[in-house]
Formats: sequence, C-alpha cells, structure tokens
Amino acid sequence: MSEIAITVNGAKRVVNVDDDTPLVWILRDTLAMTGTKFGCGVGVCGSCAVLENGTAVRSCQIPASEAKERSFVTIEGLSPDATHPCQRAWLEEDVAQCGFCQPGMIITACGLLRDSPDPTDEAIDAAMSDSVCRCGTYPRMRKAIRRAAAILKEQKS
Amino acid sequence: MITSRRAFLKTAAFGGASLVIGFDGSRLLYGAEAKPGTQFQPNNWIRIDPDGGVTLTIGKSEMGQGVRTSLAMILAEELEADWSRIKLVQASPSAVFNDLGTGGSDSMRDGWRTLRKAGAAAREMLATAAAIRWKVDRASCAASNSAIVHPATNRRFDYGALVTDAAKLPLPKDPPLKSAAGFKIVGRRMPRIDGRDIVSGKARYGIDARIPGMLHASLERPPWAGAKPKRMQEAKARAVRGVRMIAKTSRGIAVVGDTTWAAIKGRTALAVEWDDPPADAFDSAAHAKQLEAASREQGFVTRKEQPPPGTGAVAKTIEATYSYPFYAHAPVETMNCVADVRADRCTIWVGTQAPNKLQKQVAELLYTTPEKVEVNLTLIGGGFGRRLAVEYALEAAEISRGAKAPVQLLWSRADDMKHGHFQAASVHSLAGGFDAQGAPISWRHTKAGSFHNISPLDPKEVHDAAWYQDWSWGTYDVPYAFPAVQTAYVTVDLPVKHGPWRAVFAPSSVFAREAFIDEMAQVGGADPLAFRLDLLKGADIVKAGTTTIDRRRLRRVLEVVRDKSSWGPPLARGRGRGVACNAYFGHTYIAYVVDVAVDPNGKVRVERVVAAVDCGIVVNPIGVEQQIEGGIIWGISSALGGEITFRGGAAQQNTYADFAVARMRDTPAVEVHILPSDTPEPFGMGEPPVPPIVPAIVNAIFAATGKRIRHLPIRAEDLKVT
Repeated sequence: MSEIAITVNGAKRVVNVDDDTPLVWILRDTLAMTGTKFGCGVGVCGSCAVLENGTAVRSCQIPASEAKERSFVTIEGLSPDATHPCQRAWLEEDVAQCGFCQPGMIITACGLLRDSPDPTDEAIDAAMSDSVCRCGTYPRMRKAIRRAAAILKEQKS
Repeated sequence: MITSRRAFLKTAAFGGASLVIGFDGSRLLYGAEAKPGTQFQPNNWIRIDPDGGVTLTIGKSEMGQGVRTSLAMILAEELEADWSRIKLVQASPSAVFNDLGTGGSDSMRDGWRTLRKAGAAAREMLATAAAIRWKVDRASCAASNSAIVHPATNRRFDYGALVTDAAKLPLPKDPPLKSAAGFKIVGRRMPRIDGRDIVSGKARYGIDARIPGMLHASLERPPWAGAKPKRMQEAKARAVRGVRMIAKTSRGIAVVGDTTWAAIKGRTALAVEWDDPPADAFDSAAHAKQLEAASREQGFVTRKEQPPPGTGAVAKTIEATYSYPFYAHAPVETMNCVADVRADRCTIWVGTQAPNKLQKQVAELLYTTPEKVEVNLTLIGGGFGRRLAVEYALEAAEISRGAKAPVQLLWSRADDMKHGHFQAASVHSLAGGFDAQGAPISWRHTKAGSFHNISPLDPKEVHDAAWYQDWSWGTYDVPYAFPAVQTAYVTVDLPVKHGPWRAVFAPSSVFAREAFIDEMAQVGGADPLAFRLDLLKGADIVKAGTTTIDRRRLRRVLEVVRDKSSWGPPLARGRGRGVACNAYFGHTYIAYVVDVAVDPNGKVRVERVVAAVDCGIVVNPIGVEQQIEGGIIWGISSALGGEITFRGGAAQQNTYADFAVARMRDTPAVEVHILPSDTPEPFGMGEPPVPPIVPAIVNAIFAATGKRIRHLPIRAEDLKVT
C-alpha cells in the first residue's frame, strides 16, 4: 500500500491504495467517479476507457503503481455540460440504448479522432472494434464519429 | 430540462444519508415535500404541483429500450403536458405498484392501454375545473402545453393554478382519448430523456450505487450444481488488506472488503478448490445428441391441420435437422446489487426487470414481509431477459445480513458468463412435402427443447396444447398456408440454468423455419421471396393457438424489403442475398433482406440489411429504429459469434474473448423502413427484431456459396473453399 498522486480531469488527487489496485477501482471506489465503467476487468470490452494525453487507455489494465504521477481524463472531464464534440455528436445521432458502454465508447472515439481527425470507415472499425456494446449501437456510433469529426473540423476552421 | 431522475437518484442512493429511503412509489406521490391537498394526483402515474410541475411515474425498467422516454410520451400526449417541463420518477414495488415487471416486449402495448386513460382523466379533470372557475361550458375549453385555455375569451389557466380544484373532482371513468390526428408528441422523433446523463457519465446504473458505509463483495459459486469446496486459503484471503469477512453463504463463499478490489483480491487469494464433478455431469455435446434423437420423436402435437379434400397426394418430401446452441446474455454491466439488511427492514438498489418478484423473494429469504423490503430501481446496463432472474439480489441480501452492513455484490465477467441462465439449446426436425406438380402442400416442424427452470414450474398446470405452444413460439405459429401442417414439441430435461433471453423461444424456431422454407423454395425451383409471398396467399387472418396472424401485414413487409433492396438479380461471386420474415405473436411484423460476402476462407461478413417493420402505432420512431439495429447486431452475434458449451456441469466460457459478440467491424449498413400501420395500438420492439435476422443471414450464405447452414454458430471451416 502506498500513497500515490494522480491527476484526474486536471485535478491532482492523492490516494492511499495497494500498488496493484487497477485505476478503474481508484476512480470508481476511491474517488467515487462512477462515469468510468467496469465491464470485464481483463481489457476486452473497453467500458473502462479513459484518456491519457489524448489517447484512450484501459483503466482496468493500469495498476496504481503505474498510474502514479500520470494524468487522465474521464468521461466526467470531457466537458461540464455534454458539449464536447463527441458528446454532441452522440446526442445528435441518438446513439445510446442502455448507455452503459457509452462512456468508454465516447472516450475511445476521442482517442481515434485525435490521431485521425477524418477517419475512414476502416479506421473507425479498427479503433472501435476492441469495445463491446451488447445493445448494438454500432451503426449509430459510426455516424456519430463522422459527425464528431465534422464538428471538430468546423471548430478548427 | 428534465432533471428529476437525477434528482431522485440523488435523494435516494447517491446523496445524503438522511434521504436514503427516498422514493417508493406511494411515498413519492405523497412525499414529504408535497403538501397534501394542494397537489393534484388523480392516479398512480401523474402528479401536478401548484407550481405547474408535472411529475410522471414510470412503471417499467429502463434497460436501453427507451421506455422512460416512450411511456412519458404517451402520458404527456393525453395529458397535454409541456414536454420540456415534465419530470420522471421510477416506481418501486409496493401495494400500489404490484406488477412492475418488464419483459415480453409488452411495455408499449401495456402502457398504451393504461397510461392514455390516466393522462386523459387528469386532463379532463383540469379542464372541468377551469370551466367551473370560468362558468363556461367544458366543451369550450381546450388543453394545451400544461394549460387549459378558453379561446373564445382568450383566457388561460396553467395546470398549477387548477390543482386544488381539480383534486376535488370525481375521477372520470371513461375519459375521451385523443384521436391519432391530434397527436403532438406520439410519433415524434424524441431524443432519449436521459441522453445527456448517459454521454456525460452521470447516468447511474446498479453498479454505480454508493451508500454510506457500503462494503463490497465478490462471491465464489460452485462451478457445477452440488459442488463442494475441497480446500481454500482462508488465512491468505484474510491477510489481504481491506478484506473484512469471509462468509459461507447458501449460494457460495463470499469475500467482503472495503473496496471492490479488496473483495476481488481476497477471492483470488482464497483460491477455492472444488471437488470434481461426477462422470455424468452435464455436457453440452451429449445434450445435443439427446436433443437430436428427441427431435425424431412425435412429441406433443401443438398444431395439426389436415389437408382439405381435393389436396393432392405428397409426391416428394424433403427433410432437414437444424440445431441451435446455448448462448449467454452477456450484458456489459455484470450482475450486481446493493443490499442493506437491518434488523427490521432491508433496502435494495438494483437494476432488475422483475422488481416485485425480487422484493417478494428477498422478503422470504429474510423471513419478513415484502413491505419491509424497499427496492430502488436503477438504470440497467443491459437486460435482454437476464435481469428477470433475481438471484443476485438474494445473494447480496444474504451477504449483507451476515456483514451487518450495506454491501454491494458485483459479479466478475467470468461469473456472469458461467452462472447465467442461458438461452437453451434445441434441435428442430422439419419436413416439407410437394405434390406431383411440385406445389408445396405439407409442413412438419418438431422442436426438441427445454422449459425454463429459473423459476419452478407449477406442477398443477395443465400441460395442454396452449401450454406447449407457449414453449415453442415460432414453431406452432408458422404463418404459411400449407394445406397440411403439423407442429410438435418434445421436452428434454436440462439441468443447467436456462431462462428468457432476447426473444425467448422464438430465435431457434424461426431460424429453423425460415431457413427450411428457403430449402423448400430451392427444391421447388422458386425465388425464396416470391415463394414466401405465394405461401401467404389464401385467408388473410389465420389463427394458430392463441396467436392471430394477419398475413396482409407479413406480405407488406416482404414486399417492402423486396422493393427497397432491389431483390432479384444474383450478386457477384462470393456474395449473396437472403430473406426471412416473422410475425411476432401476430403483433410486430418484420422482414429482412441481408447481403453477405463470404471469402474463400469461409469468413462471413454481413454487408447490408434492409429491414421493414410494421409494429402498429409508432410512439417514438427513434426507438423503433434503435431496436431494429440492435436486434440485427444481436442476431449477428449469435450467427457468427460465440456459443456457451458445458463440460463437467460447468459453462466453459469466461469473457468476450471466448464468447465472441459482434463488434463495430461486424456491423452492416442498416436501412430501416417503418411501415404506416392501420393497427390502432403500438406493439413491442425489444424482441421481435431478433428471430428473423439469423435465418436471413444463412439464406444469404446459401445464395453466396450453395452451402446450407443448419447449425449455429456459423464456423468459417464449414464454408471454406477446399
């Protein structure tokens, strides 16, 4: 057990946890930030995705010993009012069904759009296919990612 | 802005301790913040406060079908409520709300019948109250946007101003309902009421419940029914920091800790070793053989129609056997429940499709009465029938009782995969007969399957035709006009847990039926879509058991997919197009045309799906489209993804890595055509999109490769070009 400092959504947080505690449980149990979901614990579903330097990473696969001194953005940190381009696009395309996997999906899409601002269908498939939505919102997510790309482009110009 | 759900959750599970027991249905409606006598609450579903705030109660569980939105739309429509200002609360089981179950795709149908009346009654009372105040004729007043107006004199009362007067009026028995032409909300493309919460991570599911002083538990369950622990490392588990307790419960060995991670680590350290299963423990391969043998028995005949006089003799018969495996629900949110068992009461926070059953069973477990068990419903991170079972709440209650603290029990992904109640395997034997001219004249479909066992069957039930029909949707209700029809059901014992899964008994039966119809079309040298339309001629309305099928509606969805998909010419090499359709209980009619590509390695890709649906009145077109899309993806998972297999009585799969489900890369282009319907009520959409998609896929594969798929899931090696 040790005291570690991590930055979450721009705020420095000091937590006392075992070294092997996965980041997802630091966020959910220690910091009571439940927007990041647990779905499998073994990195095959993507529900727990968070951003680090704009890249989507799986918080169930990052133990505290590795998370320390690093900075993460969770779904709660994307915007204060659901106005991030991905969140807007998700709402405008009416993507969500049960919604449980959607924070992870939105975070994963953010990571994709940072690396590839105008992604092809193949790039979207490649980036999103490590994540699971059991309700089957994939057709709408595809549209939402294209829409988010368009919003981002508009914001830049 | 609709914030109440957030607000009530805040006062319930996620806020101050003093408000922890916040919102059972009746208390909400007569809640502490309300002043009795000053608000208008004509029924269980509607409350109007003096400030004009309209609060609607939702009596179904939200699990992605958009039911909080669509039920509120029905209420707001008849109430003439201002949509932008309504608030929602979720009903909890109580003496008032004694039937809150969500399943069988009946929320819209149910809601349409009850909630329209509730809304209309409230609207009528408000209008009457205004007419009395103005001393004018009721008929000269109109309701609009949460107000009663008197156009002749340009006067207006907000609903809030009328609550005291309206509350004194008698409840109208048969309030006039709006005509469809006057609908302003029903039929609109309405975004999800909780959409912003979902995309910002604020939506609260069962797993997100946080109660002051709450501990966390992980439960090690016997891997096969009756397994006994041989040894375990209790000392090692106790040595894990944060582990508070190791408790042997009736359902397994629980490790309780301060955090989820402590519980998980403690359970790993406990390293329970279970004794070996007996040699005859359940094995799915052996079960499949048993089902296949059973499918050749006569079974209980669920429908028999003799050919009318003048029908020619059967000159040629084809036969085929279709087999269907076990599947898991595998919702992304694993089973979980928070229980807080105290000496004199119990409080539960849970995502469930069966709130009343859950309340009753927890009460029985705790030797108390249901009213002592408060059940707070959260959002559900995937239901699909899985959360009609309530064992995870019983587990949590038992652990909380032992821990003397509120406890959140969370299932691991592997727990969820191995201890589900599965979609049962089945085998279908089919035969089709042709007369000397090659016309299809007879149909036989025998299903060998198993009754649900997640709740005990009532031994007093009469096992008559209707009873067997209820276990074989999609078999006895074949919609096609064969002169001779025989359907039958053979029961095969199945000791592992199995129960409702999206579309319940229909997927396997419709897979076999719609694939075999294609085989008959091929033998008859007919186009499979035209063959179906030909078989849907004759009487427009047919009865099969308690199901009434309107063949006109089925023909129409087939014609629409035919026209919209440019059905007809064969596709390029390696590609194929298939069709299938179904009338779900005679309620919702769906047809699909599917395009697939099959590569030389046998890998199948579903490229495009054209769907046509007639689900009666459409309350929210977005919801209908989403359910079609989701049903298609669900079907792609079961056609091309994983299955559950059993060895030694235990399910062998652990995660999405070995029980594959559809991903973005498996997603086709989907085109949904919602047909205008002359049916005066809305029908369900959660389940109906599932059954016809898999047969449409296998029929497309046949068109692409000439190979019949009669076994699921589809394996590349079956289709590999050798």
